[in-house]
Amino acid sequence: MRLPLLSSIAFAVLFAGLPLLAVFAEALGGLGAFADILHTENDRAAFAASLELGVVATAIAVLCGGGHAWLTFRTDLPGARWLLPLGVLPLVIPPILLAMSLADLLPMKGFWPCAALIGVTTAPFVAVFAARGLRAVDGREYEAALLARGRGAAERLLLRTVAPEFAAGALLAFLFAVSEHGVPEFLTVKGKTWHTYAEVVFRLWSRRATGVTSADLASPIVASLPLLVLLALALFLALRLRARAGVQAAQPLPLRPLGGLRWPLLGAPLLYLGHGVLLPIVVMSRWAAGSTAAAPMSLATFRSSLARALSQAGSDLGHTLFIAVATTAVVLVVALPLARRAGRGRGFIDYVGVLPLAVPAVLLAIGVVQVFNSRLLNRVYTLGFDFYDSDACVVAAYAARFLPFAILTLSSAVRRIPQALDDAAVLSGRGPLARALRVHLPPLLPAAWSATCLVFVLALRELDLAVVLPAGNGTVVRRLSNVVHFGGEDVGGALALYLLLTALLVPVLGMILTGRRPTPIS
Amino acid sequence: MSTFTLHDLTLARGKGSFVLGPIDLRLEAGARTALVGPSGSGKTTLLRLLAGLERPDRGRIALDDETWSDGPRLVLPPAARRVGFVFQDGALWPHMTALEHLRFVDPRATRADAEALLNRVGLAGFGKRRPDTFSGGERQRLALARALAGHPQVLLLDEPLHSVDVHLRDELSLLIRGVAIERGLGLVVVTHDRRDAFALATEIVVLHGGRVIEAGAATTLASAPRTAFTAAFLGAATCIPVIATHNGHVESPFGSLPVQGQKEGLVLALLPDDVRVVARDRAPTHGRILRVMPDGGELLASIQLGEHVVLARCPRADAPALRDGAEIGLALAGPPRLLSNRAATTHNESAANGDEHA
Repeated sequence: MRLPLLSSIAFAVLFAGLPLLAVFAEALGGLGAFADILHTENDRAAFAASLELGVVATAIAVLCGGGHAWLTFRTDLPGARWLLPLGVLPLVIPPILLAMSLADLLPMKGFWPCAALIGVTTAPFVAVFAARGLRAVDGREYEAALLARGRGAAERLLLRTVAPEFAAGALLAFLFAVSEHGVPEFLTVKGKTWHTYAEVVFRLWSRRATGVTSADLASPIVASLPLLVLLALALFLALRLRARAGVQAAQPLPLRPLGGLRWPLLGAPLLYLGHGVLLPIVVMSRWAAGSTAAAPMSLATFRSSLARALSQAGSDLGHTLFIAVATTAVVLVVALPLARRAGRGRGFIDYVGVLPLAVPAVLLAIGVVQVFNSRLLNRVYTLGFDFYDSDACVVAAYAARFLPFAILTLSSAVRRIPQALDDAAVLSGRGPLARALRVHLPPLLPAAWSATCLVFVLALRELDLAVVLPAGNGTVVRRLSNVVHFGGEDVGGALALYLLLTALLVPVLGMILTGRRPTPIS
Repeated sequence: MSTFTLHDLTLARGKGSFVLGPIDLRLEAGARTALVGPSGSGKTTLLRLLAGLERPDRGRIALDDETWSDGPRLVLPPAARRVGFVFQDGALWPHMTALEHLRFVDPRATRADAEALLNRVGLAGFGKRRPDTFSGGERQRLALARALAGHPQVLLLDEPLHSVDVHLRDELSLLIRGVAIERGLGLVVVTHDRRDAFALATEIVVLHGGRVIEAGAATTLASAPRTAFTAAFLGAATCIPVIATHNGHVESPFGSLPVQGQKEGLVLALLPDDVRVVARDRAPTHGRILRVMPDGGELLASIQLGEHVVLARCPRADAPALRDGAEIGLALAGPPRLLSNRAATTHNESAANGDEHA
């Protein structure tokens, strides 16, 4: 095996494998906690609520994301070419920010608003997969069905063809919906009367600090096992369904004319994007302009909030940006050799590589603490560099968490590149470095760019790992989550605007530098 | 002249889903050889084994005394074998210009060298263009130039004429033969099209089901195939099963035919030149004309003979009698060509007798 691949495997083992092993080893040490799994009525109710929330939020995600992809890819909707890639944009908004925005406008309480919120924030997964599925359908297959059996039959055939991709996106949405604890917890603050299982796990994690027995310490880990099984199952099914779908059609699907509904239906993607993107921007702008203060809103307050956010949290913003950029770089370097291997016949890497996604982020964070805050290593840290307290630890943990996205995106791209291109490079007689840089890497650049944008945005908005790891406490999202509890909406709003602007930085810079219009991530 | 020796070469994929070999074969490295056979016969796999892109499960590949592969071990890595490979559909690197393709393979080549090579393959002025702007024929020309840029001793070509239209085929096959001759290169060409095989090669190896059925000079295999499969594949022969009788004869649509040696498992192979149209009253059998096509200075008639369709090459003078749907008399033009239907073992049996030279 070559050095890059070995290094990538070593990284994945060190920052994902070992931490997860550590937490499960600890869980085995506290066997008493196993008896408590779903033991109380409240826990069982929370688990049922999670399932319910997952199903309803997923249905909303399919409606929003799938509908967006269908309308913008399949029909002659005005501006569809631009709207299609924008379907991924709600991913830029941290779910907690969206929750705070909506709660500002409406008295948000209960199950349905929560499901709607999570549905919109997870809809990009469905949008991306659905667009990918539609792109892979050969237009000639549709036309053959159209000529033989008419439009209805052709549309049914098309739906059946893209169903695996829709389902894969829906399962990913379900995965994120079930493991999301920030939004339900926020709504608790606003007076919610029910709880999800992710909240139960997170609450147990919070109690870990005061726990004395090994069962106390193991309780959040053990409690997360039902969730873990559920998430792993969803992820496995998503990957299986995704693997069944094609990648690129010889002839694209013919556009379906919407006729008189062409302009009215434009409202659907605009409503989705407005809800998922524009609304938080407007609300955060209003906060920055002083909407929560006694005095009326003003441009001066807006400017002042922006200035104060920079003076109070400018370093946090720089810190967050640094972590996101470093995470993205590390993820790409680690993912590339693994994705090449996965795309060239070692498909199991896709399945092993996505494990960090199946594990609630809090659990991965606990594992990182276990491994890198051990007594032995703390003694080593006293000799010089304290890895655990440094940004390097946060970057490594973020990278381990987001590695699956890059592996999946890049391995898909590798599969699209014929093996013969690699064979031709081997026969050229050039060395591995020349082959990697001149032959293998250039065709992967579009996919690498997609992975870059995705990981960068996810790293900017990551909250669970940031809460647990010491250096993560200095991130903007962490500070924004404090706004929920401690107020300071004007500066918080300004800070959120800076964060969103930063999230758009990489994609926009990329468009400017490459001169390419945005393309949907797949 | 150098010789490739393939001994006991075997490759299995999956749980017995595909098996190549065992193959025992000798190929003149400097000759122009075609590996022919239907889809799935193992032609491309054999070519990839020669290039070192696949590892055999068992067996040995050697060029004279130099071992290239020994079992699954690649003794000589692909890049050290000095083979140029033209992949099916080109396998060009989409992000590189034509010049970049050539200079990637040979970094010491000057721009002038690369342009001269492009000129040679008919791509003058294409240096700065990328493959996505090329036609099918141009892509194959660039693939050929890339294979030549590495200064190979043998060119391995996988269906090189596959993606070009019929007019360009002759042009491209002449180019491939031309560069092979002027550079003293051996050619090993994979094709499923007998016309391409005859256009490019002087030696032919016929493969079927992962085994070598027959190997020899192209002209010999075309005119005197030893197996029904080769006759059908290379000569467009129709193979009609015959029934052995007790008197050293077999029964065929053309009557009772004498046979020596093996009597079971025989077919009567009818090449287009083996059948002639005769007057109905003197004909041993009759058929119905399905279609008549011009074939150079002659005519090629498709004739329904019982449940078989045979081809007959006829002089233009017969044209008035050759109407679609006409009932005609048929006779054999020469001695009957009675061939073994046991195609799969024929070559390996003869190879065991030291007759494997291609």
